[in-house]
Amino acid sequence: MSAQLPKGFAALEPFAERWAGATAAERADLRAAHAIAERDAFAAACAPLLAQGLARLDQTPLAEQDEAEQRLMRLLLTYAHVSLAAVQGPDEAMHARLRTDMRITRTPADV
Amino acid sequence: MNTHVPRFEPVAQQNLDWLGTEPIPASAYYDPAWFELERQAVFRRSWLQIGHVCELPEPGSFVRREIEVAHASILIVRGKDLRIRAFHNVCTHRGTQLVAEEAGRQSSFSCPYHRWTFSGEGELVGAPDFEQFHVTKADCALPAIAVDICAGMIFISFAEHPPVLREWLGDLAERLEALPIAKATTFTEYVYEIDANWKLTYDNFQENYHLRFIHPRSSGGGTGPDNPFGYPARYGFHGPHRTQTIWVNSEAPLPSTATQVAFGTAMQRLAAQGVTATEDGRDYFALFPNFFLFGSPAQHFSHMVMPINATRSRGVFRLYWIGEDSSASERFAREHLMALTRDVHSEDRGVIEAGQRGLSSGALRHIHFQTQEVLCRHLYNEVEAAVRAYQAETAAGIT
Ligand code: FES
Ligand SMILES: [Fe+2]
Repeated sequence: MSAQLPKGFAALEPFAERWAGATAAERADLRAAHAIAERDAFAAACAPLLAQGLARLDQTPLAEQDEAEQRLMRLLLTYAHVSLAAVQGPDEAMHARLRTDMRITRTPADV
Repeated sequence: MNTHVPRFEPVAQQNLDWLGTEPIPASAYYDPAWFELERQAVFRRSWLQIGHVCELPEPGSFVRREIEVAHASILIVRGKDLRIRAFHNVCTHRGTQLVAEEAGRQSSFSCPYHRWTFSGEGELVGAPDFEQFHVTKADCALPAIAVDICAGMIFISFAEHPPVLREWLGDLAERLEALPIAKATTFTEYVYEIDANWKLTYDNFQENYHLRFIHPRSSGGGTGPDNPFGYPARYGFHGPHRTQTIWVNSEAPLPSTATQVAFGTAMQRLAAQGVTATEDGRDYFALFPNFFLFGSPAQHFSHMVMPINATRSRGVFRLYWIGEDSSASERFAREHLMALTRDVHSEDRGVIEAGQRGLSSGALRHIHFQTQEVLCRHLYNEVEAAVRAYQAETAAGIT
Protein backbone atom coordinates (compact mmCIF):
# COMPACT_ATOMS: atom_id res chain seq x y z
CA MET A 1 0.00 0.00 0.00
CA SER A 2 1.44 3.40 -0.93
CA ALA A 3 1.75 6.10 1.71
CA GLN A 4 -1.30 8.31 2.11
CA LEU A 5 0.21 10.71 4.64
CA PRO A 6 3.24 13.02 4.68
CA LYS A 7 6.59 11.45 5.58
CA GLY A 8 7.10 10.85 9.27
CA PHE A 9 3.49 9.86 10.01
CA ALA A 10 3.61 6.16 9.12
CA ALA A 11 2.16 5.34 12.53
CA LEU A 12 -1.12 6.93 11.41
CA GLU A 13 -1.30 5.11 8.04
CA PRO A 14 -3.51 2.27 9.39
CA PHE A 15 -6.13 4.90 10.29
CA ALA A 16 -5.93 7.03 7.14
CA GLU A 17 -8.90 5.37 5.42
CA ARG A 18 -11.45 5.25 8.20
CA TRP A 19 -10.69 8.18 10.50
CA ALA A 20 -10.19 11.20 8.21
CA GLY A 21 -13.68 12.75 8.46
CA ALA A 22 -14.47 15.29 5.72
CA THR A 23 -16.67 17.60 7.80
CA ALA A 24 -16.78 18.52 11.48
CA ALA A 25 -20.08 16.67 11.86
CA GLU A 26 -18.58 13.51 10.34
CA ARG A 27 -15.52 13.79 12.56
CA ALA A 28 -17.67 14.20 15.65
CA ASP A 29 -19.62 11.07 14.65
CA LEU A 30 -16.42 9.08 14.09
CA ARG A 31 -15.73 9.34 17.82
CA ALA A 32 -18.41 6.68 18.36
CA ALA A 33 -18.48 4.98 14.95
CA HIS A 34 -15.97 2.17 15.38
CA ALA A 35 -15.05 -0.44 17.98
CA ILE A 36 -13.67 0.92 21.24
CA ALA A 37 -10.37 -0.89 20.75
CA GLU A 38 -9.88 0.73 17.34
CA ARG A 39 -10.83 4.14 18.72
CA ASP A 40 -8.31 3.77 21.53
CA ALA A 41 -5.63 2.62 19.10
CA PHE A 42 -6.31 5.69 16.93
CA ALA A 43 -6.08 8.00 19.95
CA ALA A 44 -2.90 6.32 21.14
CA ALA A 45 -1.33 6.75 17.69
CA CYS A 46 -2.36 10.42 17.42
CA ALA A 47 -1.41 11.62 20.90
CA PRO A 48 2.40 11.52 20.50
CA LEU A 49 2.21 12.93 16.94
CA LEU A 50 -0.18 15.82 17.54
CA ALA A 51 2.39 18.57 18.14
CA GLN A 52 4.63 17.30 15.36
CA GLY A 53 1.71 16.92 12.95
CA LEU A 54 0.43 20.45 13.53
CA ALA A 55 3.96 21.86 13.23
CA ARG A 56 4.38 20.04 9.91
CA LEU A 57 1.01 21.27 8.59
CA ASP A 58 1.58 24.84 9.81
CA GLN A 59 4.36 25.12 7.18
CA THR A 60 1.75 25.16 4.39
CA PRO A 61 -1.18 27.57 4.00
CA LEU A 62 -4.43 25.62 4.47
CA ALA A 63 -5.62 26.36 0.94
CA GLU A 64 -2.42 24.91 -0.54
CA GLN A 65 -2.37 21.57 1.27
CA ASP A 66 -1.78 18.57 -1.00
CA GLU A 67 -3.86 15.42 -0.62
CA ALA A 68 -1.56 13.81 1.93
CA GLU A 69 -1.51 16.97 4.04
CA GLN A 70 -5.28 17.31 3.85
CA ARG A 71 -5.64 13.75 5.05
CA LEU A 72 -3.30 14.34 7.97
CA MET A 73 -5.23 17.51 8.82
CA ARG A 74 -8.50 15.60 8.88
CA LEU A 75 -7.07 12.82 11.01
CA LEU A 76 -5.86 15.34 13.59
CA LEU A 77 -9.23 17.12 13.46
CA THR A 78 -10.96 13.81 14.14
CA TYR A 79 -8.57 13.39 17.06
CA ALA A 80 -9.79 16.78 18.35
CA HIS A 81 -13.06 14.92 19.05
CA VAL A 82 -11.78 11.43 19.82
CA SER A 83 -9.36 12.70 22.48
CA LEU A 84 -12.43 13.59 24.56
CA ALA A 85 -13.58 9.97 24.78
CA ALA A 86 -10.88 9.44 27.41
CA VAL A 87 -12.27 12.33 29.44
CA GLN A 88 -15.69 10.65 29.48
CA GLY A 89 -14.12 7.29 30.30
CA PRO A 90 -16.82 4.80 31.35
CA ASP A 91 -19.57 7.32 30.49
CA GLU A 92 -18.55 7.57 26.83
CA ALA A 93 -21.17 5.18 25.42
CA MET A 94 -24.00 6.95 27.25
CA HIS A 95 -22.50 10.30 26.31
CA ALA A 96 -22.41 9.41 22.60
CA ARG A 97 -26.21 9.14 22.65
CA LEU A 98 -26.52 12.62 24.18
CA ARG A 99 -24.28 14.10 21.51
CA THR A 100 -26.33 12.87 18.57
CA ASP A 101 -29.01 15.46 19.41
CA MET A 102 -26.47 18.29 19.22
CA ARG A 103 -26.07 18.68 15.44
CA ILE A 104 -23.04 20.54 14.10
CA THR A 105 -24.27 22.77 11.29
CA ARG A 106 -21.29 24.96 10.50
CA THR A 107 -17.58 25.45 11.20
CA PRO A 108 -14.96 27.65 9.51
CA ALA A 109 -13.23 24.40 8.45
CA ASP A 110 -16.31 23.35 6.46
CA VAL A 111 -17.06 26.66 4.73
CA MET B 1 5.79 32.14 48.70
CA ASN B 2 2.22 30.84 48.62
CA THR B 3 0.00 33.41 47.01
CA HIS B 4 -3.03 33.65 49.20
CA VAL B 5 -6.23 32.71 47.39
CA PRO B 6 -9.19 33.92 49.44
CA ARG B 7 -11.70 31.21 50.34
CA PHE B 8 -14.73 31.19 48.09
CA GLU B 9 -17.78 32.90 49.55
CA PRO B 10 -21.08 32.38 47.75
CA VAL B 11 -23.28 35.43 47.17
CA ALA B 12 -25.33 35.93 50.36
CA GLN B 13 -29.14 35.65 50.31
CA GLN B 14 -29.49 39.05 52.00
CA ASN B 15 -28.18 40.69 48.81
CA LEU B 16 -30.86 38.88 46.81
CA ASP B 17 -33.85 39.26 49.13
CA TRP B 18 -35.34 41.88 46.82
CA LEU B 19 -36.04 39.12 44.28
CA GLY B 20 -38.26 37.21 46.71
CA THR B 21 -38.11 33.65 47.97
CA GLU B 22 -41.59 32.44 47.02
CA PRO B 23 -42.14 29.14 45.19
CA ILE B 24 -42.82 29.52 41.45
CA PRO B 25 -46.02 28.30 39.73
CA ALA B 26 -45.18 25.10 37.83
CA SER B 27 -47.83 25.80 35.17
CA ALA B 28 -45.65 28.60 33.76
CA TYR B 29 -43.45 25.80 32.40
CA TYR B 30 -46.10 23.85 30.48
CA ASP B 31 -49.49 25.56 30.30
CA PRO B 32 -50.36 26.58 26.70
CA ALA B 33 -52.52 29.48 27.99
CA TRP B 34 -49.57 30.94 29.91
CA PHE B 35 -47.34 30.38 26.88
CA GLU B 36 -49.79 32.36 24.74
CA LEU B 37 -49.46 35.24 27.20
CA GLU B 38 -45.65 35.01 26.97
CA ARG B 39 -45.88 35.06 23.19
CA GLN B 40 -47.76 38.33 23.26
CA ALA B 41 -46.19 39.98 26.30
CA VAL B 42 -42.58 38.87 25.90
CA PHE B 43 -41.72 37.61 22.44
CA ARG B 44 -43.78 40.02 20.36
CA ARG B 45 -42.46 42.98 22.39
CA SER B 46 -38.80 42.27 23.18
CA TRP B 47 -35.70 42.65 21.07
CA LEU B 48 -34.69 39.14 19.95
CA GLN B 49 -31.10 38.26 19.08
CA ILE B 50 -31.29 36.48 15.76
CA GLY B 51 -27.92 36.55 14.01
CA HIS B 52 -24.64 38.31 13.41
CA VAL B 53 -23.52 40.87 10.84
CA CYS B 54 -20.81 38.47 9.60
CA GLU B 55 -23.63 36.44 8.03
CA LEU B 56 -24.41 39.40 5.77
CA PRO B 57 -21.01 40.36 4.36
CA GLU B 58 -22.14 41.96 1.09
CA PRO B 59 -25.01 43.83 -0.55
CA GLY B 60 -27.68 41.21 -1.30
CA SER B 61 -26.53 38.83 1.45
CA PHE B 62 -29.55 37.46 3.29
CA VAL B 63 -30.58 34.96 5.94
CA ARG B 64 -34.04 33.52 6.57
CA ARG B 65 -35.00 32.88 10.17
CA GLU B 66 -38.10 30.96 11.29
CA ILE B 67 -39.54 32.57 14.42
CA GLU B 68 -42.24 30.07 15.39
CA VAL B 69 -43.10 31.97 18.56
CA ALA B 70 -44.22 34.88 16.39
CA HIS B 71 -45.68 32.58 13.70
CA ALA B 72 -43.28 34.36 11.37
CA SER B 73 -40.60 33.72 8.77
CA ILE B 74 -38.20 36.67 8.60
CA LEU B 75 -35.77 37.71 5.90
CA ILE B 76 -32.79 39.76 7.00
CA VAL B 77 -31.08 41.40 4.06
CA ARG B 78 -28.18 43.76 3.50
CA GLY B 79 -29.27 46.30 0.89
CA LYS B 80 -27.30 48.02 -1.86
CA ASP B 81 -26.87 50.90 0.59
CA LEU B 82 -25.24 48.37 2.99
CA ARG B 83 -28.06 48.84 5.51
CA ILE B 84 -29.46 45.74 7.16
CA ARG B 85 -33.25 45.42 7.01
CA ALA B 86 -35.69 42.81 8.24
CA PHE B 87 -38.88 41.85 6.39
CA HIS B 88 -41.58 39.29 6.74
CA ASN B 89 -40.82 36.56 4.21
CA VAL B 90 -44.23 37.11 2.68
CA CYS B 91 -45.10 38.20 -0.86
CA THR B 92 -47.45 41.18 -0.75
CA HIS B 93 -49.55 39.83 -3.65
CA ARG B 94 -51.25 36.90 -1.95
CA GLY B 95 -48.97 35.97 0.88
CA THR B 96 -46.73 33.24 -0.55
CA GLN B 97 -43.43 32.74 1.29
CA LEU B 98 -40.81 34.31 -0.93
CA VAL B 99 -37.56 32.61 -0.03
CA ALA B 100 -37.01 28.94 0.72
CA GLU B 101 -33.19 29.06 1.05
CA GLU B 102 -31.78 29.48 4.53
CA ALA B 103 -29.15 31.96 3.41
CA GLY B 104 -27.54 33.28 0.26
CA ARG B 105 -26.82 36.30 -1.84
CA GLN B 106 -29.02 37.75 -4.56
CA SER B 107 -29.91 41.20 -5.85
CA SER B 108 -33.67 40.60 -5.83
CA PHE B 109 -36.27 38.15 -4.52
CA SER B 110 -38.89 36.69 -6.87
CA CYS B 111 -42.05 35.07 -5.65
CA PRO B 112 -42.45 31.55 -7.07
CA TYR B 113 -46.22 31.98 -7.55
CA HIS B 114 -46.73 34.93 -9.99
CA ARG B 115 -43.18 36.30 -10.05
CA TRP B 116 -43.58 39.54 -8.18
CA THR B 117 -40.02 40.68 -7.65
CA PHE B 118 -38.68 42.65 -4.69
CA SER B 119 -35.38 44.47 -4.26
CA GLY B 120 -32.95 43.90 -1.40
CA GLU B 121 -34.43 47.06 0.09
CA GLY B 122 -37.89 45.48 0.11
CA GLU B 123 -39.50 47.49 -2.71
CA LEU B 124 -41.70 45.84 -5.30
CA VAL B 125 -39.65 46.37 -8.47
CA GLY B 126 -41.44 44.13 -10.93
CA ALA B 127 -44.81 42.39 -11.28
CA PRO B 128 -46.12 40.75 -14.46
CA ASP B 129 -49.11 42.57 -16.00
CA PHE B 130 -49.23 44.95 -13.05
CA GLU B 131 -51.60 47.30 -14.94
CA GLN B 132 -54.39 44.85 -14.11
CA PHE B 133 -54.00 45.57 -10.38
CA HIS B 134 -55.73 48.31 -8.45
CA VAL B 135 -52.82 49.30 -6.22
CA THR B 136 -49.48 51.08 -6.59
CA LYS B 137 -46.11 49.34 -6.40
CA ALA B 138 -45.14 51.69 -3.60
CA ASP B 139 -47.98 50.22 -1.52
CA CYS B 140 -46.68 46.69 -2.09
CA ALA B 141 -43.27 46.84 -0.38
CA LEU B 142 -42.37 43.89 1.84
CA PRO B 143 -43.67 44.36 5.39
CA ALA B 144 -40.69 45.50 7.46
CA ILE B 145 -40.02 44.84 11.11
CA ALA B 146 -37.61 46.61 13.47
CA VAL B 147 -33.96 45.59 13.29
CA ASP B 148 -30.90 46.98 15.04
CA ILE B 149 -27.29 46.01 15.74
CA CYS B 150 -25.19 45.92 18.91
CA ALA B 151 -21.71 44.39 19.15
CA GLY B 152 -22.18 42.85 15.70
CA MET B 153 -25.29 41.02 16.89
CA ILE B 154 -28.51 41.47 14.92
CA PHE B 155 -31.66 41.99 16.95
CA ILE B 156 -35.22 42.11 15.61
CA SER B 157 -38.45 43.17 17.24
CA PHE B 158 -42.06 42.58 16.31
CA ALA B 159 -43.15 45.57 18.39
CA GLU B 160 -44.57 48.46 16.40
CA HIS B 161 -42.62 50.99 18.45
CA PRO B 162 -39.81 49.09 20.18
CA PRO B 163 -37.50 50.91 22.56
CA VAL B 164 -34.12 51.95 21.19
CA LEU B 165 -31.97 48.79 21.30
CA ARG B 166 -29.16 50.44 23.25
CA GLU B 167 -31.62 51.66 25.84
CA TRP B 168 -33.13 48.19 26.05
CA LEU B 169 -29.64 46.75 26.69
CA GLY B 170 -28.81 49.54 29.13
CA ASP B 171 -25.31 49.53 30.60
CA LEU B 172 -24.65 46.11 29.05
CA ALA B 173 -24.47 47.57 25.52
CA GLU B 174 -21.04 49.04 26.06
CA ARG B 175 -19.72 45.89 27.73
CA LEU B 176 -21.00 43.73 24.88
CA GLU B 177 -19.32 45.99 22.35
CA ALA B 178 -15.96 45.44 24.05
CA LEU B 179 -16.23 41.65 23.57
CA PRO B 180 -14.72 39.69 20.65
CA ILE B 181 -18.18 39.09 19.17
CA ALA B 182 -18.19 42.73 18.04
CA LYS B 183 -15.24 41.90 15.75
CA ALA B 184 -16.19 38.33 14.84
CA THR B 185 -16.10 37.37 11.18
CA THR B 186 -17.18 33.73 11.35
CA PHE B 187 -18.54 31.12 13.74
CA THR B 188 -19.05 27.47 14.51
CA GLU B 189 -22.65 26.42 15.13
CA TYR B 190 -24.48 23.45 16.63
CA VAL B 191 -28.22 23.20 17.15
CA TYR B 192 -30.72 21.06 18.98
CA GLU B 193 -34.43 20.64 19.38
CA ILE B 194 -35.86 19.67 22.71
CA ASP B 195 -39.20 18.62 24.16
CA ALA B 196 -39.07 21.25 26.87
CA ASN B 197 -40.37 24.70 27.69
CA TRP B 198 -38.02 27.53 26.74
CA LYS B 199 -37.60 28.77 30.34
CA LEU B 200 -36.94 25.29 31.70
CA THR B 201 -34.30 24.87 28.98
CA TYR B 202 -32.79 28.31 29.47
CA ASP B 203 -32.73 28.01 33.26
CA ASN B 204 -30.43 25.00 33.06
CA PHE B 205 -27.81 27.34 31.65
CA GLN B 206 -28.13 29.94 34.38
CA GLU B 207 -27.67 27.83 37.49
CA ASN B 208 -24.54 25.93 38.54
CA TYR B 209 -26.19 23.76 41.19
CA HIS B 210 -26.29 20.89 38.64
CA LEU B 211 -22.63 21.06 37.56
CA ARG B 212 -21.22 18.33 39.73
CA PHE B 213 -24.07 15.94 38.96
CA ILE B 214 -24.55 16.48 35.23
CA HIS B 215 -20.97 17.33 34.23
CA PRO B 216 -18.91 15.17 36.57
CA ARG B 217 -16.19 14.60 33.98
CA SER B 218 -16.48 17.34 31.37
CA SER B 219 -16.18 20.46 33.49
CA GLY B 220 -13.65 19.68 36.17
CA GLY B 221 -12.51 23.30 36.45
CA GLY B 222 -16.00 24.46 37.39
CA THR B 223 -15.99 23.08 40.92
CA GLY B 224 -13.38 22.79 43.66
CA PRO B 225 -12.88 21.93 47.34
CA ASP B 226 -14.01 25.30 48.67
CA ASN B 227 -16.75 25.69 46.04
CA PRO B 228 -18.07 22.14 45.56
CA PHE B 229 -21.11 23.27 43.58
CA GLY B 230 -19.21 25.77 41.45
CA TYR B 231 -21.47 28.65 42.43
CA PRO B 232 -20.76 31.98 40.70
CA ALA B 233 -18.54 34.61 42.22
CA ARG B 234 -21.04 37.40 41.47
CA TYR B 235 -24.47 38.15 40.05
CA GLY B 236 -25.47 41.29 38.21
CA PHE B 237 -28.98 42.56 37.46
CA HIS B 238 -29.56 45.00 34.64
CA GLY B 239 -33.24 45.68 34.07
CA PRO B 240 -34.68 42.48 32.55
CA HIS B 241 -31.16 41.17 31.80
CA ARG B 242 -28.70 39.52 34.19
CA THR B 243 -25.09 38.39 34.42
CA GLN B 244 -23.07 35.94 36.45
CA THR B 245 -19.33 35.90 36.92
CA ILE B 246 -18.31 32.28 36.91
CA TRP B 247 -15.88 30.93 39.45
CA VAL B 248 -12.95 28.91 38.15
CA ASN B 249 -10.88 26.40 40.06
CA SER B 250 -7.45 27.64 39.02
CA GLU B 251 -5.86 24.48 40.39
CA ALA B 252 -7.81 22.07 38.16
CA PRO B 253 -5.60 20.65 35.39
CA LEU B 254 -6.73 20.84 31.76
CA PRO B 255 -8.08 17.39 30.89
CA SER B 256 -5.70 16.45 28.07
CA THR B 257 -2.74 17.44 25.92
CA ALA B 258 -5.14 18.13 23.06
CA THR B 259 -6.96 20.64 25.26
CA GLN B 260 -3.69 22.27 26.34
CA VAL B 261 -2.59 22.58 22.70
CA ALA B 262 -5.98 24.05 21.69
CA PHE B 263 -6.10 26.67 24.44
CA GLY B 264 -2.43 27.54 23.90
CA THR B 265 -3.01 28.15 20.19
CA ALA B 266 -6.23 30.09 20.78
CA MET B 267 -4.67 32.39 23.36
CA GLN B 268 -1.64 33.06 21.14
CA ARG B 269 -3.86 33.89 18.19
CA LEU B 270 -6.08 36.17 20.26
CA ALA B 271 -3.01 37.98 21.61
CA ALA B 272 -1.75 38.46 18.04
CA GLN B 273 -5.16 39.92 17.16
CA GLY B 274 -4.94 42.31 20.09
CA VAL B 275 -7.80 40.60 21.94
CA THR B 276 -7.04 40.42 25.64
CA ALA B 277 -9.23 38.88 28.29
CA THR B 278 -11.23 41.70 29.81
CA GLU B 279 -12.89 41.89 33.20
CA ASP B 280 -15.91 40.36 31.46
CA GLY B 281 -13.99 37.27 30.30
CA ARG B 282 -15.68 35.19 33.00
CA ASP B 283 -19.11 36.73 32.66
CA TYR B 284 -22.22 35.13 31.26
CA PHE B 285 -24.55 37.71 29.81
CA ALA B 286 -28.19 36.68 29.84
CA LEU B 287 -30.16 39.03 27.61
CA PHE B 288 -33.91 38.97 28.10
CA PRO B 289 -35.72 36.96 27.07
CA ASN B 290 -33.81 34.05 25.53
CA PHE B 291 -30.15 34.75 24.72
CA PHE B 292 -26.79 34.05 26.41
CA LEU B 293 -23.29 35.16 25.56
CA PHE B 294 -20.21 33.95 27.42
CA GLY B 295 -17.47 36.60 27.55
CA SER B 296 -14.49 34.22 27.49
CA PRO B 297 -12.44 35.09 24.38
CA ALA B 298 -11.22 31.51 23.77
CA GLN B 299 -14.65 29.86 24.02
CA HIS B 300 -16.78 32.82 23.10
CA PHE B 301 -20.11 31.09 22.74
CA SER B 302 -23.66 32.31 22.42
CA HIS B 303 -26.84 30.34 23.00
CA MET B 304 -30.32 31.24 21.86
CA VAL B 305 -33.33 29.26 23.10
CA MET B 306 -36.25 29.76 20.75
CA PRO B 307 -39.68 28.57 21.88
CA ILE B 308 -41.62 26.51 19.35
CA ASN B 309 -44.60 25.87 21.61
CA ALA B 310 -45.23 25.60 25.36
CA THR B 311 -43.19 22.41 25.68
CA ARG B 312 -40.89 22.41 22.68
CA SER B 313 -37.88 24.61 21.90
CA ARG B 314 -34.90 24.92 19.60
CA GLY B 315 -31.44 25.90 20.77
CA VAL B 316 -28.67 27.41 18.69
CA PHE B 317 -25.12 27.50 20.03
CA ARG B 318 -22.39 29.43 18.28
CA LEU B 319 -18.72 29.93 18.99
CA TYR B 320 -17.64 33.21 17.42
CA TRP B 321 -14.19 33.65 15.88
CA ILE B 322 -12.20 36.54 14.48
CA GLY B 323 -10.74 35.71 11.05
CA GLU B 324 -10.87 32.49 9.05
CA ASP B 325 -8.68 29.57 10.19
CA SER B 326 -5.18 30.97 9.63
CA SER B 327 -3.24 27.73 10.14
CA ALA B 328 -3.60 24.02 10.80
CA SER B 329 -3.03 24.68 14.49
CA GLU B 330 -5.82 27.22 14.63
CA ARG B 331 -8.17 24.91 12.75
CA PHE B 332 -7.40 22.16 15.26
CA ALA B 333 -7.89 24.55 18.19
CA ARG B 334 -11.30 25.71 16.99
CA GLU B 335 -12.50 22.18 16.31
CA HIS B 336 -11.40 21.02 19.75
CA LEU B 337 -12.79 24.04 21.62
CA MET B 338 -16.13 23.37 19.93
CA ALA B 339 -15.98 19.67 20.80
CA LEU B 340 -15.38 20.62 24.45
CA THR B 341 -18.37 22.94 24.75
CA ARG B 342 -20.56 20.56 22.73
CA ASP B 343 -19.75 17.75 25.16
CA VAL B 344 -20.90 19.87 28.10
CA HIS B 345 -23.98 21.19 26.30
CA SER B 346 -25.02 17.68 25.21
CA GLU B 347 -25.05 16.69 28.88
CA ASP B 348 -27.23 19.71 29.63
CA ARG B 349 -29.66 18.97 26.83
CA GLY B 350 -29.87 15.36 27.96
CA VAL B 351 -31.21 16.14 31.42
CA ILE B 352 -33.82 18.80 30.63
CA GLU B 353 -36.52 16.71 28.93
CA ALA B 354 -36.97 14.56 32.05
CA GLY B 355 -37.81 17.75 33.95
CA GLN B 356 -40.41 18.65 31.35
CA ARG B 357 -42.07 15.25 31.55
CA GLY B 358 -42.40 15.70 35.30
CA LEU B 359 -43.76 19.21 35.06
CA SER B 360 -46.15 18.44 32.20
CA SER B 361 -47.73 15.69 34.31
CA GLY B 362 -49.28 18.44 36.41
CA ALA B 363 -48.15 16.69 39.59
CA LEU B 364 -46.57 19.86 40.99
CA ARG B 365 -48.24 23.15 41.78
CA HIS B 366 -44.94 24.87 42.46
CA ILE B 367 -41.23 24.54 41.86
CA HIS B 368 -38.48 25.94 44.10
CA PHE B 369 -35.40 28.02 43.44
CA GLN B 370 -32.63 28.23 46.03
CA THR B 371 -30.45 31.29 46.63
CA GLN B 372 -27.95 30.21 43.99
CA GLU B 373 -30.69 29.65 41.41
CA VAL B 374 -31.56 33.30 41.66
CA LEU B 375 -31.03 33.98 37.96
CA CYS B 376 -33.84 31.52 37.15
CA ARG B 377 -36.01 33.37 39.64
CA HIS B 378 -35.12 36.70 38.05
CA LEU B 379 -36.14 35.42 34.61
CA TYR B 380 -39.47 34.20 35.95
CA ASN B 381 -40.04 37.51 37.75
CA GLU B 382 -39.32 39.48 34.58
CA VAL B 383 -41.57 37.26 32.44
CA GLU B 384 -44.35 37.48 35.00
CA ALA B 385 -44.04 41.27 35.20
CA ALA B 386 -44.27 41.51 31.40
CA VAL B 387 -47.33 39.25 31.35
CA ARG B 388 -49.07 41.23 34.13
CA ALA B 389 -48.36 44.51 32.35
CA TYR B 390 -49.74 43.10 29.12
CA GLN B 391 -52.87 41.82 30.88
CA ALA B 392 -53.42 45.21 32.53
CA GLU B 393 -53.10 46.97 29.16
CA THR B 394 -55.47 44.55 27.46
CA ALA B 395 -57.99 44.93 30.28
CA ALA B 396 -57.75 48.72 29.96
CA GLY B 397 -58.23 48.42 26.21
CA ILE B 398 -54.81 49.89 25.41
CA THR B 399 -53.73 47.15 23.03
S1 FES C 1 -48.38 35.36 -4.34
FE1 FES C 1 -46.45 36.15 -4.80
S2 FES C 1 -46.64 36.76 -6.85
FE2 FES C 1 -48.60 36.00 -6.38
FE1 LIG D 1 -24.70 22.52 32.54
